[in-house]
Amino acid sequence: MKKAILSAAMMTAIACTAVAEQTITIDGSTTVGPIAKAFAEYFMAARPDVNITVSESGSGNGAKSLMNGVCDVANLSRPMKSTEFKAAAGNDIQPVAHVVALDGLPILVHPQNPIQDLTIDQIRKIYTGEITNWKEVGGPNLGIVVITRDTNSGTYETFEGLVMSKQKITEKAEYVGSNGAIRQRVQTTPAAIGYAGLGFVDKTVKALKVNGVYPSAATVRTGEYAIARPLFMYTNGYPKLGSAVYQFVTLYLTEDGQEMVEEIGFIPVTSY
Amino acid sequence: MRLETRRLLDRAFSSLGLIAIGVMALALVVILTPIIVRGSGAFIFRSTIEHRKVMFDQWDRGNAGRLETAKAEVAAARQPVYDMLAAFNTELDAMPRADRKPYKQSLRDLEKALAGLLGPVPGERTPVLIRQQYGATRWDRTQIKLDDVLTTEEWDYSDPTALGKLVRTPRVEQFRGTKLEPLFPYVEQNIKAMMQPRWTCYWQFLFDTSKDSHIFGGIGPEVLGTIYLTLGAMFFAIPMGVIAAIYLCEYAREGRVISFLRICISTLAGVPSIVFGLFGLAFFLNTIHISDSKSVLAGALTLSLLVLPTVIRASEEAILAVPRAYKEAAMSLGAGRWRTVMTVILPAALPGILTGVVISMGRAAGETAPIIFTAAVSVGRPLLPLEALSQPTPALSWNIYNLCTEHEAVDEIRHVQYGMVFTLVAVVLLLNVFAIIMRARISKKLRG
Repeated sequence: MKKAILSAAMMTAIACTAVAEQTITIDGSTTVGPIAKAFAEYFMAARPDVNITVSESGSGNGAKSLMNGVCDVANLSRPMKSTEFKAAAGNDIQPVAHVVALDGLPILVHPQNPIQDLTIDQIRKIYTGEITNWKEVGGPNLGIVVITRDTNSGTYETFEGLVMSKQKITEKAEYVGSNGAIRQRVQTTPAAIGYAGLGFVDKTVKALKVNGVYPSAATVRTGEYAIARPLFMYTNGYPKLGSAVYQFVTLYLTEDGQEMVEEIGFIPVTSY
Repeated sequence: MRLETRRLLDRAFSSLGLIAIGVMALALVVILTPIIVRGSGAFIFRSTIEHRKVMFDQWDRGNAGRLETAKAEVAAARQPVYDMLAAFNTELDAMPRADRKPYKQSLRDLEKALAGLLGPVPGERTPVLIRQQYGATRWDRTQIKLDDVLTTEEWDYSDPTALGKLVRTPRVEQFRGTKLEPLFPYVEQNIKAMMQPRWTCYWQFLFDTSKDSHIFGGIGPEVLGTIYLTLGAMFFAIPMGVIAAIYLCEYAREGRVISFLRICISTLAGVPSIVFGLFGLAFFLNTIHISDSKSVLAGALTLSLLVLPTVIRASEEAILAVPRAYKEAAMSLGAGRWRTVMTVILPAALPGILTGVVISMGRAAGETAPIIFTAAVSVGRPLLPLEALSQPTPALSWNIYNLCTEHEAVDEIRHVQYGMVFTLVAVVLLLNVFAIIMRARISKKLRG
């Protein structure tokens, strides 16, 4: 027993003498999460002396983490609000935005659902609870199960801003906590409707045309697809040139960064 | 009451008890079987050549010479596929423009499906994302990817008033009469030669870091993070809890204040864990800034608060259960209160205290809510003990939740998720077994 304790103590001592490494702490949006995780993997492979941790707790939490000074990079899937800027300034933190990708916010239904196309108006009415059955928009006779994100989510706020135009989402809507959860809920419920980031669309769910336009790189870039938005990473001030954080938040500008953003399913801001 | 009635009631009661135990056992089997069966699938599975490539490239594992021979064999088996694709491309180029068009999308889809099965085309540029650098690493995933290559799925919406129907057609239909037609039977028949499946025990799953957000590799950082958090929580909770219990039982004078304190402790035990999590965030991180970001330290402190009431109550019960005679004997020999507590009461109460401690360890290992805001992240490196003071870590409980709700490619990595669940259950189970053994040994020693 004593031996075990002694050896454990020695191990600890050895471990403690190892080199302290740089760290980058990333928090925030579950939509930007896949990009941040891929960037982190790529970055750490090139710079083994940097430890990057990524948490996906939602845009709201990301903004709070940044203004409380507990993260280096905050992922947001919406711009920071003026109240958040004020709170950050009060803590002597100056948020600087880096737009790392564009996203189309597709409206998702179960692939069994024959609906292919909805107008913004119809989507709004579905979410306000005015339309409650798929047959009212030309589908089968089936009650609509409305799935939406939690209010902490940037995706929710984008949706609220671009689709809901200040109308309240129906009380019957089901609130879930992440993009993955939206997809999971939609892929298991034939009558469901939901929305998530483009990177979360796979063949288990179907993205609808909105106002006759399918969300794709071209239609999002030109603004034809109506529900589109930039994805942000925020830092406290512009990071010191050459620092690890600087290299990390400018990764999206490189060719490899563009490929990663593209392959994950989002739309890069660069075009090499 | 007549004797017969009494007997009848007796029998009815005992059979009810049996049924209850039976239901519980059944529930345990229903819950544990899939965890064990599917969880062990993360460790023992039929791996393909792609798995061996990942192991060699990323972790320097495996015999280089043998891998090269296997790679050459596999490449030879795959070559006809790429030859057929090349032949089809030349065929396409020779076609008039209008004929070419319908094949374009089909070809792109086929190439994508093939890349999912076999990995990138040899000789072409290596993709940046690690997940695209390799084909299917497991035989079960290979079957699914093979099915993707061989069949296309489409939805039939001909009746707009009903739900669509899934129509599966062999992909070969799209390429009838072209040079690609023989590709499909070839892939189907030679899949074993192309993938070389063989049974593997990937025990390093427990220790490896994950590559490309859990798509490859193991759960090392998560296991280590769970251990840090649990031990850290215990490091704070045990001394505080035991000392508090000793004070409450031996030193404190019974009165209003003490009974109020007891009520507080009981209430604390009933507070939902997410409240502790938010408290930890608000107090340890945002108020006293115990670390610059989320950290294992903050998480461990939060968890220790969560288990503190359990430790106090268990220790109190254990101390109260020590026979009065022990204490009186010690006192009569002239030992002071402190000496009595340290040499007589604590050793006698140790088995009970240990049980409480280990039960709370199990709880600390499995709790998710307190660490969401204070310690847990989705991806990160394994930490050295000193780094745990200032850095956050992945942890099993949180990452299980994270994988199943937030991961962008969760369907590809169900085995990792089950592997984590299996490991967490095994850790908690082992802790409990350890407690039982310790307890038995200590009581035996005490009895002499």
